[in-house]
Amino acid sequence: MATVALAGNPNCGKTSLFNALTGARHHVGNWPGVTVEKRSGSFEAGDLALEVVDLPGTYSLAARSEDERVATAFLAEPEVDVIVNVLDASNLERNLYLTTQLLELKKPLVFALNMADDAERQGVKIDLEALAGLLGGPVIATVGNRGEGIEALKAAILTAVQGQDPSLDPSLWPPRVAYGEDLEGEIRTLAAEVRRDERLVAHLPSRWLALRLLEGAEDALQQAGNSHAAQAIQAQMEASRAHLEHHLGADVPTLLAERRYGFAHGLVKEVATHHGAPVRNLTDRLDAILTHRWLGIPIFLAVMVAVYTLTFVVGAYPQEWIGAGVDALHAAAAGALPPGELTSLLVDGVIPGVGAVVVFLPSIMILMGCVSFLEDSGYLARAAFIMDRVMHLMGLHGKSFIPLIMGMGCNVPAVQAARTLESRSDRLITILVTPLVSCSARLPVYILLAGAFFAPLAGALAVVGMHVLGFGLAVGVGKLLRTTLFRKDQAPFVMELPPYRLPLLRTTAVHMWEKASVFLRKAGTVIFAGATLVWFLSNYPGLADRTLLAERQTQEQAVRALNLPAEEEQARLEDIAFAFQGRIMNTSLAARFGRVLEPVFAPLFDPDGKRDEAWKDGVALTAGFVAKEIVVGTMAVVHQAHEEPEEGAALSPLQTSLRERSGLTPLTALAFMIFVLIYTPCLGTLGMIYKETRSWAWTAFSVGYGFGLGWLLAWITVVAGRALGFA
Amino acid sequence: MNAHSNLLPLSALEPGAAARVAALEGDAATRRRLLEMGFLRGERLVIHKAAPLGDPVELVIKGYHLSLRREEGACILVEREA
Repeated sequence: MATVALAGNPNCGKTSLFNALTGARHHVGNWPGVTVEKRSGSFEAGDLALEVVDLPGTYSLAARSEDERVATAFLAEPEVDVIVNVLDASNLERNLYLTTQLLELKKPLVFALNMADDAERQGVKIDLEALAGLLGGPVIATVGNRGEGIEALKAAILTAVQGQDPSLDPSLWPPRVAYGEDLEGEIRTLAAEVRRDERLVAHLPSRWLALRLLEGAEDALQQAGNSHAAQAIQAQMEASRAHLEHHLGADVPTLLAERRYGFAHGLVKEVATHHGAPVRNLTDRLDAILTHRWLGIPIFLAVMVAVYTLTFVVGAYPQEWIGAGVDALHAAAAGALPPGELTSLLVDGVIPGVGAVVVFLPSIMILMGCVSFLEDSGYLARAAFIMDRVMHLMGLHGKSFIPLIMGMGCNVPAVQAARTLESRSDRLITILVTPLVSCSARLPVYILLAGAFFAPLAGALAVVGMHVLGFGLAVGVGKLLRTTLFRKDQAPFVMELPPYRLPLLRTTAVHMWEKASVFLRKAGTVIFAGATLVWFLSNYPGLADRTLLAERQTQEQAVRALNLPAEEEQARLEDIAFAFQGRIMNTSLAARFGRVLEPVFAPLFDPDGKRDEAWKDGVALTAGFVAKEIVVGTMAVVHQAHEEPEEGAALSPLQTSLRERSGLTPLTALAFMIFVLIYTPCLGTLGMIYKETRSWAWTAFSVGYGFGLGWLLAWITVVAGRALGFA
Repeated sequence: MNAHSNLLPLSALEPGAAARVAALEGDAATRRRLLEMGFLRGERLVIHKAAPLGDPVELVIKGYHLSLRREEGACILVEREA
């Protein structure tokens, strides 16, 4: 099976072309060891099956960013038979810069001149035949998102794979940049040294390696370093570099860049004719408003509000339906199966576990759809442009704004939105600090405690304060990470502002589906495993205890024997069930874990050591690890007090119980709120962090630093509060 | 005539100004990235506008629009076009 690689600049429409080529037959994975997504698919031409790999968009193969390293490494692989270079017709010169490097690989090249319609509209006409002649490969005009030119492209790829292009003049092929006498001389000399080791040149031209060595590309340096001819190559490389720098007055990368662009420039002059000056009418007019000095920011905020609303308000409906569906399934299963361990595993473990994963799908799909639309349309670059000054002060990138804002709804899709950041360190820092932003799942906990311990105004202030604190911490920790762990990887902000384009709904839909399916596969398993584990910890050994079960059954029989009216009987049965849950919880492993953790939490929630229910906090917090909204429900079970207020009451029984019996004070309740804000990302977020970073180390780090920071701030709150005279 | 007297950092240019790249300073990684994006010696660029908060700056080079932070623009020495 032949392999085709798609290479091209970012924003050149490569992805639409890939989608058009492969139809529905593609999937998204990861390049091994890195956070870059790998998209591969296949199509049939003639009677051949061809595999297509969509490489990340790159401006060059200098191999400094993760994207470039991945692309370069793959293109150099012997398994790549044909390279399809996608060119943006309206930006040819810069696009050809990458081409000059692809030519050095001496592999069959096919060129897709994409967005040909845009170019025509701008009055640019390109002579395809002349271009093909100069580049040594067929040039097909395509409009990726309309599927135009796809069949011709497939045919050209097939011909290239079979190696029979009759239009290629063998004396011209392969064409390449002529770097000038001095450079060419040094390249030839160095290439000769490289050829001493046959293994180095087994799959790649010696000229390619020589050029990369002169440029100082890491992959080439590593390969040469491992060779038996390392010394000779190294010596010649340094001599050549010194000679060129001295003789031509600039370092090698500058010299090469100038020659490459010279080639590209000359090429464009020969094949492109302009009818009038190239203009970006619509784009410039839109930008006059969208990045306007006074209108730009309000418009941006409006867009953010729109995305937030779509994701979390509109998205709440499908979320409710899924929740209701899971509940219905839960009730049906509970009703149909006999009580016992296996049933509980299925009904309280597996079903809610799957539910815990699936419930995120609506918000993920909608947010990813919005982000994809914003990115493909070109607006995302403008958003980053507008916000960068503020973000940069915080040690972040303009594009970090979206994950932080969306984190206020739910951290899970917000972390996934960090994917738009190109630099690895920007992406990692954003992923690590987004969970600090207070999400909507934490709100019930705040409301519970604020309602129980604070007067209405103070309570509202406390809740708002949590959100402000979350944001503030995200900024602070981000800055700290930037100046400590990630100091050396500061990528320049140089960012293209592409012309505005209307993305196809189909492309957006494909992206939504891809992101959702990857989430299910990678994060879903982590979340499901974690939920099941916590179920186990919360239910054993009580669930296996037959005496408890027997007692419950006896109580239920007694109630039924009273022949009460249906409603009252139901209420009493529910009370029995609630008490049963409480006894299971009290004897569970989670409770033991809570008691073990008591000394850890004591300075925070029980500084005087007087509370004998303090261990219940630990249980609730452990359950909160799965999802923060579970903290309230768990507290209800553990304190045996319902969370819903009775009719007419201002406080719920749980709130009353907390206020009067738990031993918590307003100060320690505040500390509890702060701890819940920070302590560790919930399981869903951790699953997403793992999926985005591909690293258990960073995932564990999130847990660790969250717990540590949460503890520290809660403790400071208590100590400072006491110093100020609060209890 | 001292040619260097009209060299200034790109970050000092105002919207609408046209200039040509004279030299690149700063660390190797930044210089290479700028080169790849088209900041060659003698290349013409035009400052389009600044972001609403003043930074970064949008400019046109080699026929496309690019956004650059002022601190990066400080590494690019340009000669103003008359």
